[in-house]
Amino acid sequence: MAKQSRLLAAFLLVGLVFGFLPAQQAVTVRVQVRDYEDFTRLTLEASSRLETRMTRTGGILEILIDSSASLRFQTTPVSSRLVRSVAWGRSDGRHVLSVVLRSSDFTYNAFTASRPFQLMVDFKEGEAVPPPTAGESAAAPTAARSAVRPSSGIRTIVLDPGHGGIEPGAKGRFGTLEKDITLAIGLKLKAVIEKNLSFRVVMTRDKDIAVSLENRAALANNNDALLFISIHANGSYKQSSHGSETFFLSLNASDEDVRRLAYFENTQSEIEGRIAAQEEEQDVLRMILWDMAQSAYIRQSSRLAELIQAELNALLGTANRGIKQAPFKVLAEVACPAVLVEAAFLSNPDEERRLTTEEFKNNVAQAIYQGLVNYIRLYPPEGGR
Amino acid sequence: MPRRRLLLLVVLGLTLALSAFFFFFQDRGETPRDPGDVSVPQETGSLPEDAAVKTVVLFFLSENDGLLHPEERTIPAGPSVEWEARRLVEELIKGSRTGLISPLPPESELRQVFIDRGGTVVVDFSREFADRHPSGTSAEMATIYCLVNSLTRNFDAIKRVFILVNGSERETLSGHISLAEPFLPLPSLIAQ
Repeated sequence: MAKQSRLLAAFLLVGLVFGFLPAQQAVTVRVQVRDYEDFTRLTLEASSRLETRMTRTGGILEILIDSSASLRFQTTPVSSRLVRSVAWGRSDGRHVLSVVLRSSDFTYNAFTASRPFQLMVDFKEGEAVPPPTAGESAAAPTAARSAVRPSSGIRTIVLDPGHGGIEPGAKGRFGTLEKDITLAIGLKLKAVIEKNLSFRVVMTRDKDIAVSLENRAALANNNDALLFISIHANGSYKQSSHGSETFFLSLNASDEDVRRLAYFENTQSEIEGRIAAQEEEQDVLRMILWDMAQSAYIRQSSRLAELIQAELNALLGTANRGIKQAPFKVLAEVACPAVLVEAAFLSNPDEERRLTTEEFKNNVAQAIYQGLVNYIRLYPPEGGR
Repeated sequence: MPRRRLLLLVVLGLTLALSAFFFFFQDRGETPRDPGDVSVPQETGSLPEDAAVKTVVLFFLSENDGLLHPEERTIPAGPSVEWEARRLVEELIKGSRTGLISPLPPESELRQVFIDRGGTVVVDFSREFADRHPSGTSAEMATIYCLVNSLTRNFDAIKRVFILVNGSERETLSGHISLAEPFLPLPSLIAQ
């Protein structure tokens, strides 16, 4: 018996070695196409950085990849409004991904994120705006800075450092308090935004004071905020929990709520008409709308979360816990795209130490900044709203 | 004559004593019935406590994967879902016996459990449930869904869970997750 199992183990080992050797050299490339409300995004994700170029002929966009390593492709079946199909091929020793669109009347916009390397190409129907600034090559995220041109009416970004005053939030083993970390990152982020962009930044708190969650949301709504970003540091019962994640609101919907939500999402203008018409119901409906203010922005919030998370992954060197949904009180009543960033875990001694360093806090601020720049580039304030 | 009188007196006395005896006997015969009626159901009510038990699945947090893992436990089978749900939550507070993490503060006390017609169970904890909570998004999610997934898994009558603290509604558990709405189960947090 012992001999047999030893023999089996040896075979398994040999199998594993042979199985994995070629896999380690190859770069895995994943392609996914997903429809959003007003555009379609193709995401090409690779386990290492790739040089890409794009050429467009009629209804076909070709993405050329220069890579000495062998590539392994994983393509999920395409079912999209704008993209008919994607196919891999080779031309002049290069790998080519041909993206066939349903119509030749489209515009596209490309940008990249790193670690993991991602090339994102957003397709829009018809309209010639915005001009494809990405041109023949994908623009690096840093180049996005110059592309942001806010309209003359200056919009407000609301930053929300979590907790404060008598409410410390999560606590680290060495005594670090969540409220101090969130404020420090918030102030740094405010500085970066004000330095580089012409947006007004409003903080829900800029010192160590308690602010109610209701007032935080109200501040965003009263300022007609363009974006709301809540900054937090995580705490877990599980000591080894680590990494960074970005949340947007989950509607912890009971059956009635789902119906209420679907109703609200699909026919917002109709509901508004009814409010005017039926005065008796006005208050009730207003209250419903206000309770669920965030439900009208869930899609945009998820995009904002995606873009910020991509930058956290690129800049922090922490584990990517991805984007998630949870029923956060502070997000529920915000009437604009809103996310909550959990920079790292205070309950993890290693990450607690990192969270106290200036370098790490600067990086968190820089990552959130870069994510929101990418978002604003995709949804310029004068257009989408 | 005096003998006859004496006899009459004796007979009268005996009749009185007999009737008094019957009167009290009948009374005693009636009175034990009431306590008897009450004590019988009391006995049958406590009998299953000793005899019948129910095996339930509790969910606790694993240090390895951060997911909720099942742990079997027996609780006494009771007269109602509320009664059993109460025992189940008390077991959750007591914590895991297999080294998993219990994300309910051990100082928490359970005040009330009741179920409405729509299948929402209202669980009312003492203030320690929130005051002794370590705070943090992940920690709050673990606490809430350890409770919600355990209750909804074991009782078909329970569809969602609404949490009260010290008898009142509370804005958040500890600064993050809203307690304003009842929670539906979240199976994605359970290890497969």
